[in-house]
Amino acid sequence: MVIGEVVGRLWASRQAASLGGQKLLLVRPLGASGRGARLIVAADALDAGPGDRVLVARGSRVRDLTVGETVAAKDVVVGIVDGASIELGASASIEIGGAP
Amino acid sequence: MILGRVVGRVWAARQDARLGGAKLLIVRPHGVYEPALPTGHLVAVDDVDAGVGDDVIVALGRPARLAAAKSLGKSLGSSSGAPASDDFPVDAAILGVVDRVELDAAASARPGAAPGIARPLPAITDGARLAPGGRA
Repeated sequence: MVIGEVVGRLWASRQAASLGGQKLLLVRPLGASGRGARLIVAADALDAGPGDRVLVARGSRVRDLTVGETVAAKDVVVGIVDGASIELGASASIEIGGAP
Repeated sequence: MILGRVVGRVWAARQDARLGGAKLLIVRPHGVYEPALPTGHLVAVDDVDAGVGDDVIVALGRPARLAAAKSLGKSLGSSSGAPASDDFPVDAAILGVVDRVELDAAASARPGAAPGIARPLPAITDGARLAPGGRA
């Protein structure tokens, strides 16, 4: 899984039937910023919204278990992050939210 | 499997029920792997009680689900109706805490070879949210 921030929603009125009208989110992975940063288009199984930090898992098995075998997407939101703590060495750290 | 270092922890209250309170750690991979990871970090289920600062072995994909099933299945209870071992929506799991690595410096320095673990690691940054010494 990766942590990312939901930066938007994505609608496509003309889409393959295999996407099945699935709600799609644009997720910017933690650490990807600026021009050229790769965004993930993820299917949403948890009703996340813009601004949420989310856990995105990848793979066809994950997809089968969450949004269903018929959905043609491989990245799925499986968690909404309450807090995270990342140590970058003695002098720097990232804190998101708070510990439980 | 990949080699990485645990750099943090994640908490998520709203999550897929099958994640069932799993301990989730943030791992920064050592070096560059193919297929390239889309990010400089990954989040893995911890099966071996690793901690921040530990070097760990991380499995990806189905092997990770099978490994995670042991700890996740326990937390969900092993009563009837518990999901089968591959039925957890995870894609990474920590399988071991590394005590020692021997690396051939010359071989790993060849162009095209995987970078050695002695190489300075790329920093995880999160734009303006990165603040020295504490919260942004």
